Amino acid sequence: MSAARDIVAGALCCIGTFFFLVGTTGLLRMPDVFTRLHPSTKCDTLGACSVIVGMAVYSGWSWELCKLVVIACFLLLSSATCGHAIGRSALRRNIPYWRRQGKETGDGNGA
Amino acid sequence: MATGNGVRRKLLLLIVLFAFWMVFTASLAWHELVLGAVSCALVAAMTVSLLGRALDPRITPAVLLRLPVFMLRLTWEIIKANYDVAKIILNPKLPIDPRIVEYRTYLPDDLPRTVFSDSITLTPGTVTVELEGNRLNVHCLCPYHEEGLAGLEKMVAWLFGIRKEGEVTADG
Repeated sequence: MSAARDIVAGALCCIGTFFFLVGTTGLLRMPDVFTRLHPSTKCDTLGACSVIVGMAVYSGWSWELCKLVVIACFLLLSSATCGHAIGRSALRRNIPYWRRQGKETGDGNGA
Repeated sequence: MATGNGVRRKLLLLIVLFAFWMVFTASLAWHELVLGAVSCALVAAMTVSLLGRALDPRITPAVLLRLPVFMLRLTWEIIKANYDVAKIILNPKLPIDPRIVEYRTYLPDDLPRTVFSDSITLTPGTVTVELEGNRLNVHCLCPYHEEGLAGLEKMVAWLFGIRKEGEVTADG
């Protein structure tokens, strides 16, 4: 029983680490601020949440579980808010967004 | 604002604060509970004008009951879309075609709109970059990511029990 729990917890943490890796790769590969928001706010969210769920499985039914749930909620809320704030300030500063070559650059004022 | 509403808000705030107290102290010792109740009551009385605004009248018991189901559905959407974005990132060609699309929502009031735009941001492939009135500017990584927005909007409408105007929904 304990071994099975360790395996599940370890697997979830591995999945989380994988998504962190993908998120960081995306952050480095994407061309501009708007596209960089996608991997950084998303893959990191799922990555961190997988790690947290893994830790929750590891800790079992205890007070730590409640704390982990609270941490996950704060993480999701702040991640979404932060992504929105960065995107909005970039839009307000009229930073042009990257378009695939052959198409004109967006003027930053929406489609 | 009516007095009854103010008391209700204070009570709600007290319950929320006390739940946090319970989680953080992680103890059921009676002196901890009494200390928590007293300090939570004091903080609730002092900060209801600040934090009370977060307790929107749209948060009803029915909404709280639907919230776990909504979160599960949202989590499923996030996992699906995360897999999709991970595939795009790891593709050597990086097949992205980003654009900013304008989306007009039928959701009323601040809270449903905030939940909707936060859900969009949490779902990979789409980021809400501006929310003004009922108009959302959404940055999409690929054109087909835009198609998921209507489904998310429907989920948020279901959470708050909002019906689209002129539409007769079968479920309540």
